[in-house]
Amino acid sequence: MTDIVFPAMSKDNAEAEGVVATWFVADGETVAAGQLVAEVAMDKVDMEVTAPVAGVIALASAEGDAVRQGEVIASIT
Amino acid sequence: MTATMPQTGSRRLSTAKAMVEAIGQEMERDESVFVLGEDVGAYGGIFSSTTGLLDRFGPTRVLDTPISETAFIGLAIGAAVEGMRPVVELMFVDFMGVCLDQIYNHMAKIHYESGGNVSVPLVLTTAVGGGYSDGAQHSQCLWGTFAHLPGMKVVAPSTPYDAKGLMTAAIRDPGPVIYMFHKGVMGLAWMAKNQRSIGAVPEEPYEIEIGRANVVREGTDVSVVTVSLSVHHALDVAEQLAGEGISCEVVDLRSIVPLDRAAIRASVAKTGRLVVVDEDYASFGLSGEVIASVVEHDPAALKAAPVRVAVPDVPIPYARELEYAVLPTPARITEAIREVMHP
Repeated sequence: MTDIVFPAMSKDNAEAEGVVATWFVADGETVAAGQLVAEVAMDKVDMEVTAPVAGVIALASAEGDAVRQGEVIASIT
Repeated sequence: MTATMPQTGSRRLSTAKAMVEAIGQEMERDESVFVLGEDVGAYGGIFSSTTGLLDRFGPTRVLDTPISETAFIGLAIGAAVEGMRPVVELMFVDFMGVCLDQIYNHMAKIHYESGGNVSVPLVLTTAVGGGYSDGAQHSQCLWGTFAHLPGMKVVAPSTPYDAKGLMTAAIRDPGPVIYMFHKGVMGLAWMAKNQRSIGAVPEEPYEIEIGRANVVREGTDVSVVTVSLSVHHALDVAEQLAGEGISCEVVDLRSIVPLDRAAIRASVAKTGRLVVVDEDYASFGLSGEVIASVVEHDPAALKAAPVRVAVPDVPIPYARELEYAVLPTPARITEAIREVMHP
């Protein structure tokens, strides 16, 4: 299993919170390595998140949920 | 023009990413395609309409321009006349006032003035629409203004699928195309989310024929003819009214010039009732043109007087409550449909 974590978008604050703005894939969908799976946002800056490996993705957070950077937002098995 | 319609797979994109994908694929296919405008490079477009293109294609094909719309749109027209295929962004359509001479006196007329000998294969992209308190000078749609002036095609996609197909078609078109993207359909993280701004988009290039409307929901009681973000509101309302036994047909025009009058007439021939939803100003614009398309053709086509849901003839207010009082909201669309159902 490979976790996908909320990227470290803040250099100053390790505890900084952002949101998963958009999931481009559904829970349980099969994804390819490198596929765009989400867009995350922090302080009006957004960033793309891609799948590090191929497999079936399980989402661990909903769109709009506040998430601390480094926290797991999905996992791929 | 033959449009190839690939099957949509499961891959989803936002409207903004679908637009960028189309531009990127055309830049790869055709070296004469290039992008210019304010903040289209390092910033990626203030509404993410060009994100990543500078990194992929470099500063000779993705040009950040000064705040000088007449100069850089004029530059694009000159390049197009010489055989390039520029995609030039006017950051907000509201800014057309400072560069309209280039657009309607030059870009739109050169082909005619040259007796058809000179082509201007240019795409002018521009952000339109309100709903986020950006005030009277950053919230207009104005497609009716461009549509009124001859010589330009005018398109306004509502979905990621259409955004890609219309962009590909616009870049390949031999003449000038105004490509108007509503900020509310782009799927941006910092804007109000719209569920239909993320959708399935085929990875390969494809074209959507400019000038073809799309019946996005079939119905039998009333035709709701609309375009851009209002398509989504109309679909939400149609869903809700289906529960009350009112069957709405929703027609997404997708293109304002050419206007698919045949599709409008075909829908009204079926339903006999017409509501036009248009986020542009009410008078002298698209909504009147849609109604004229029907009644000029067959004055007996309508069982009830048509109703327009458009922005009343006032500048768009900044204050949130006042802005939503003038926008074509789902509540106003619902009221209009009830009115044509029970005149």
